[in-house]
Amino acid sequence: MAAQFKQGLSDTIAAIATARGRAALAIVRLSGPGAIACADQSVPGVQLQDMPSHTVHVGMWESASGEVIDQVVLTVFRAPASATGEDVVEVSCHGGDYVAARILRSMLEQGARMAEPGEFTLRAFVNGKLDLVQAEAVADLIHATSASAHRVSLNHLQGRYSRALESLRQSLLDFCALAELEIDFSEEDVEFAGRKELLALLERSDALLGEAVDSYSYGELVREGVRVVIAGRPNAGKSTLLNALLGQDRAIVSPEAGTTRDVVEADKEMEGLLFRFIDTAGLRGAAGRIEAEGVRRARRAMERATVVVYVYDLEVGLSTEESDEIDRLSERSEVIVVGNKLDLNPDGDTGLTGEQEAVLLSARKALDFPRLVRPLWERLAQVVDQNLEGAESRRVITNLRHVQHMERALCHVRSARLGVADGKPADLFTLDIRAALHELGCITGSVTNEEVLGRIFSRFCIGK
Amino acid sequence: MNIAADNTHTRFDVVVVGAGHAGTEAAAAAARMGARTLLVTMSLDAIGRMSCNPAIGGIGKGHIVREIDALGGIMGRVADSAGIQFRMLNRRKGPAVWGPRAQCDRVEYAVAVRECIEAIPGLFLRADLVTDLLVEGNQVSGVRCQLAGELRAGSVVLTSGTFMNGVIHVGSKSYGGGRMGERASTGLTGSLHALGFESGRLKTGTPPRVDGRTIDYKRLEEQCGDLKPSPFSYMTDSLTADQISCWLTHTSPEVHGVLREGFAESPMFNGRIRGTGPRYCPSIEDKISRFATKAQHQIFLEPEGRRTSEVYVNGFSTSLPERIQMEALRKIRGLEQVHMLRPGYAIEYDYFPPYQLRYSLETKAVSGLFFAGQINGTTGYEEAAAQGLVAGINAVQRRDNRDPVVLGRSQAYIGVLIDDLVAKGTEEPYRMFTSRAEHRILLRQDNADLRLTELGYRLGTASSMRYERMLAKRKAMRDTRAVLEATPARPAAVNDYLRSVGSAPIRQAERVARLAVRPEVDLADLIRTTGVGKASIAPAPGLERVERLVETELKYAGYVERQEEEVRRMAGLRELAVPAGFDFAAVKTISMEAREKLARIQPDNLAQASRISGVSPADIAVLMVLLKQARLSAATHVSRET
Repeated sequence: MAAQFKQGLSDTIAAIATARGRAALAIVRLSGPGAIACADQSVPGVQLQDMPSHTVHVGMWESASGEVIDQVVLTVFRAPASATGEDVVEVSCHGGDYVAARILRSMLEQGARMAEPGEFTLRAFVNGKLDLVQAEAVADLIHATSASAHRVSLNHLQGRYSRALESLRQSLLDFCALAELEIDFSEEDVEFAGRKELLALLERSDALLGEAVDSYSYGELVREGVRVVIAGRPNAGKSTLLNALLGQDRAIVSPEAGTTRDVVEADKEMEGLLFRFIDTAGLRGAAGRIEAEGVRRARRAMERATVVVYVYDLEVGLSTEESDEIDRLSERSEVIVVGNKLDLNPDGDTGLTGEQEAVLLSARKALDFPRLVRPLWERLAQVVDQNLEGAESRRVITNLRHVQHMERALCHVRSARLGVADGKPADLFTLDIRAALHELGCITGSVTNEEVLGRIFSRFCIGK
Repeated sequence: MNIAADNTHTRFDVVVVGAGHAGTEAAAAAARMGARTLLVTMSLDAIGRMSCNPAIGGIGKGHIVREIDALGGIMGRVADSAGIQFRMLNRRKGPAVWGPRAQCDRVEYAVAVRECIEAIPGLFLRADLVTDLLVEGNQVSGVRCQLAGELRAGSVVLTSGTFMNGVIHVGSKSYGGGRMGERASTGLTGSLHALGFESGRLKTGTPPRVDGRTIDYKRLEEQCGDLKPSPFSYMTDSLTADQISCWLTHTSPEVHGVLREGFAESPMFNGRIRGTGPRYCPSIEDKISRFATKAQHQIFLEPEGRRTSEVYVNGFSTSLPERIQMEALRKIRGLEQVHMLRPGYAIEYDYFPPYQLRYSLETKAVSGLFFAGQINGTTGYEEAAAQGLVAGINAVQRRDNRDPVVLGRSQAYIGVLIDDLVAKGTEEPYRMFTSRAEHRILLRQDNADLRLTELGYRLGTASSMRYERMLAKRKAMRDTRAVLEATPARPAAVNDYLRSVGSAPIRQAERVARLAVRPEVDLADLIRTTGVGKASIAPAPGLERVERLVETELKYAGYVERQEEEVRRMAGLRELAVPAGFDFAAVKTISMEAREKLARIQPDNLAQASRISGVSPADIAVLMVLLKQARLSAATHVSRET
């Protein structure tokens, strides 16, 4: 059933309004009766509640736990003088999906609901903000966004999460079937589930949901980014590579080996996924105490890395020790080997042994020609996809919607557990389970009454 | 007097075809609302006949009976007067799912139905076979009968049950028939096809009947009625104390072995029956083949009446050869010497997939033509009666140019039933279950009158006496609740009781109403222990206990609020009506599947559209925009003209 209509148009919705990807600013938008209160609570001191329409305010956006997320500019539009005809707050924050996603997340924690595809436009239309000609386009728009959202969710539903969702749905369906069996077929000669069995099913659903909620979108990858440690011998060109990846001079580079003595960190967002690059001191028997400390830190960084980009100098080649080092690293993290300084050594020996494969590039030239690092980006994306449920994590927005439904489902499951434990009658605790199934249905497609009955008829011999 | 000019015997407001549970309710409702009504049946002796088991109600079905009664229908009162055993099922579950059920005397039941029908002025009976519908344009104008010829009416309600092209199967024998011993009705399906209707085949079955004098009851388990029987009708003030028991026995592997010998000759298994049967009412051969590991199945022996020894073998529905039925029955404990009065059989019949109907139960293709009962793919007396009642009411609403009466899913099980049928169609005989009602806790058997009697009274189907009884009950509940809300229970008075039911004792005085919310607390007990006394309970008509009604209200209050909130949310979509003839196929921005299904079902509004499988939230959003746009554009158009 249409979630947005079940909710009616009476709640507050939120979404990131600007295009994903790299930009100076991002806008997160709130619309609905609770929009102003939500922003007001998140930005201490602005007193938005008392502010007139079409005014601009500056403040620090804080998460529910009081952590500062970003400095933001708030623009208040009061109903009906807004794009949707409802109270609207537009929150401008620093660009990139990461900050915007965190602000969105905190809006949802405050009780806003993730907007469904096209819902802002729909509200504008419903509130008479669009004329007939504009309205023509709305249907197409909703269709288009939902079609792409559908593609995304199809991506989602392949792989591990689809299995997790499916087993969750099955366990809730099982519960429903057992609970309905004892209500609608109490006169039948079948074995009814004991309260213990019902509780066990709910505990299972609870655990599955909890796991799914934890592992979904704002799991580690989104919250922390993918940790990519750039490692290699001194003067292999690690910092040059970092700068090339960032498209800016972030690390100090010099021809002198050992220039980078401490760990340099920098974030870069690509295709909706946050990469946290960690440039390290070159690995060698250190010259001085400071550099030795740098090497120690580099090793520690590598231990925590999701991906290690191991850079070597094509002119020098890969030594046996380095090969061994790469093999050791591979046991713990994904390793991408990069042969650098291709410009200086266009057709030299890569020095690689049998199973190793390297991305060959010239980091120095890449500063001028970004496409030169493209192969490395592709390799990174590939690694993330394969090993880190990358397709999942990259779709931050869609994931948030899923997580919201799951969190609500979890609430209902917990309330059903309480009901069963308290000895409430089955007609009451099944309400909670139906509500949970409805939430899940917003992700996987609805669960109909027929499906519940079908399960009963297939498993139990019904009919006097 | 010029006989030719006097056409009162051939002209009616409403003609109802078929006098089963749907037809009798339809005719009674129409006539009560003041329509000149004719009830045509192939046999006047078969009015209100229970063709299958001699029982009314049950879980979900009992709710429907109480709703029919609340609207002024006849089923509840008839079942109360013909009842020989009353049980409230699910009494140990939440009050929302309690289901009243009664064994009835089959003969008494039919007699009582006929009495009800004959007591209504303006309702005429006629024995005849309807062979064709009279249709002018796309508007029905009457029926053609085998004997009476043409009978004119503005509305026709068709309730053909299992009679249209009915075929009865017993083993390898099969013959045309609408019920055992009654002929089928042929021809109507053809004329409906010619009018553009689609039809399908369904199957149902019935068990053998046996002679109670040959049952060894000493070897069976007795199932008695309730000590305090509960009625179906809100008008009933007393029920018979003289109840008759049912008896329980079981099949055994030996019985199953005998039955399996007949499988080769079973029309169910050799492909001669093609219609779909209900999964929840399988034949015994179905049960033992689908659940082969189950060593025994329950068999209920249900008496057919007070003045007959005929017994209905519930749980043994079959179409196996008679010889096998007999042999298998005699292997069942207590039936070793049994004499079979007539064999069980399966029957296949025509139905018309109900997505061809409007919510009023009027057909989309032919205005003035209504379908009710098994013709729409349902099973059960109660489901049929409910549709009959609604069709009868709407036939008169139509005559009077008033809006059709459509009950919402949150208003009545009858609303759930009709919405499920019209919005989704059905591929197997449809039976009501409480799990079909998402607003189950609002739709209790104890509040059907509070939900529906006012509507019935306004329509003219419910009498003023019924309406006043409902008002008195409502007032008694309100008064009692007020007393309980105001009266404190002191710790000294109630703590012993609370401890005895495992409930936490209280430290300070607490209002009685608040304590009653606790699931483990029984309000009647609480009233006794607090010394609030009987005086706090306002008197109400009927057999229901006011404190029980109030207790349910109190215990459900939080959940009821949540449900009502949900109901309000859905209401917005229901208001978005789909204009007649809206071309779903032309909406290219919704999915192909949605387009096909919507074009076929032609929903009346978007709430209905949203319940169709394959129609996504995005499709609904698109339609919402288009419908609002159509409305806007119509409004602009009008304002330009004026």
